Amino acid sequence: MHVRSLLYFIGEAFKSIARNGWMSIASIGVVSITLLILGSFMVLSYNVDLFTQDKKEQLQIVLFLDEAGNEETILELQKKLASHPRLEEARFVSKEEAMERLKAQLGDRAYLLEGIDSAEENPLRDRYQLRTKVPEDIPVVAKEIEKYPGVGYLDYGKGVVEPLFQLTGLVRWIGLAFMAGLAATAIFLIAHTIRLTVYIRRREIMIMKYVGATDWFIRWPFIFEGSILGIVGAIVPLFVIYYGYEAAAHWLQSNVYFITLIPTENIMEEIIKIIIPLGVVLGVLGSSISVRRFLKV
Amino acid sequence: MIEIYHLYKKYLKNELYALKDINLIIDRGEFVFVVGHSGSGKSTLLKLLLREILPTKGSIKIFGRDITRLKNREIPFLRRNIGMVFQDFRLLEDRNVFENVAFSLRVIGTSPREIRKRVPLTLELVGLKNKAFKRPHELSGGEQQRVCVARAIVNRPAMLLADEPTGNLDPATSMEIMTLFQDINIRGTTVIVATHAKDIVDHFQKRVVVLENNQLVSDQERGAYFNAR
Repeated sequence: MHVRSLLYFIGEAFKSIARNGWMSIASIGVVSITLLILGSFMVLSYNVDLFTQDKKEQLQIVLFLDEAGNEETILELQKKLASHPRLEEARFVSKEEAMERLKAQLGDRAYLLEGIDSAEENPLRDRYQLRTKVPEDIPVVAKEIEKYPGVGYLDYGKGVVEPLFQLTGLVRWIGLAFMAGLAATAIFLIAHTIRLTVYIRRREIMIMKYVGATDWFIRWPFIFEGSILGIVGAIVPLFVIYYGYEAAAHWLQSNVYFITLIPTENIMEEIIKIIIPLGVVLGVLGSSISVRRFLKV
Repeated sequence: MIEIYHLYKKYLKNELYALKDINLIIDRGEFVFVVGHSGSGKSTLLKLLLREILPTKGSIKIFGRDITRLKNREIPFLRRNIGMVFQDFRLLEDRNVFENVAFSLRVIGTSPREIRKRVPLTLELVGLKNKAFKRPHELSGGEQQRVCVARAIVNRPAMLLADEPTGNLDPATSMEIMTLFQDINIRGTTVIVATHAKDIVDHFQKRVVVLENNQLVSDQERGAYFNAR
């Protein structure tokens, strides 16, 4: 595309945006709200992820071996665990090692274990510590492993883990559905704005066709108009998020000491990469719909 | 320049033909009147030449190429060689005369330098040198039609088509516009004017092609509207 044509298209696009006034503002507004919500979700989830990363990694299944099991079943079990596709790690912990850990945990109250800490009287069981590749897999994997021969019982926070994962899953889906609805509204409004432009410019379009303008020459200004609406609609929430985040970080630092937030620069870098292209996509989608339906070239 | 063979056009399947078995050859540099009553098929013929519509049957060769076989993306380049003048002018009311003419160059990617050079020359040719910065509504009908002509020829097309160009103009002004077409023709452009203005056709003594009942019934050099029928 020639630079001159490019400038022409952008110029025409801005003229239309100014001429369509309120429709343009409404389109930008809806894009902004959609992307503001998305951006806020992202900021929040990045920080929550950072915060819960350790916690999640601590989630594991503890598999206590059946005391009646013999060498063979244990070997068989070990093989099965090692080759399980959803398991990241299966670490054997002998009951002696477990006793040592317990002592370390109790610290200066380790005397409570006196008398039962000898090799003969150790009441603890040999066990495997299992970590899944994805924490959310824990309940499923646990149910499966429970049936393996040689397994005594499992401890994985049954009844606590499932609802937690269900809740986070639900929140994510509601958020996605909500945003999909908003995105559809944004696309619709942009399409409507472009349709208005096509209508206002019908005479120009007709003349362009008669004097031999190419189809794409006729289409580009409308595509640009949609893209500009989308980009402006993306820049607005970026500013809101930037200043909002700065303020929130400032407040948290002076009031809640133990929370560390991702630095503003880093998080902005992340969300700009998503928000701006999304704005463009919304704009281009909206304008292509109208160009396709109403621009007979 | 234009070769039309056994051309038929029907708009809808069960309708009558809008054009029936038209055969017509027009050479480079000719001036041709296409006459006939409303509904005789004049406009259909012009639309076919511009590739606005496709014929039902037959072939149309322009500049040696069968335009019925053009790909969609080739059509703009055909139209760059054909200027079109309308009965209702079709000017952009929000722009002045200069911009209206410049518009048709800009949208085909002509450089601003070239536009600044060619538009004033063309406005001079059509006699609107002093009205370049007037808006269409400040002009008379005849002047508006001159703008439309300027827009059609500014790209120096090989051919100029006009569909009832004097339909909205009084007789004196009509005569002026037609004289302008003649001037353009003398400079080498092929001109085809669809009209039913009898006086004009009789006055100019050019080739006259008569359409009646959707058929070509007469084609005479130096014809007149009536004796042609």
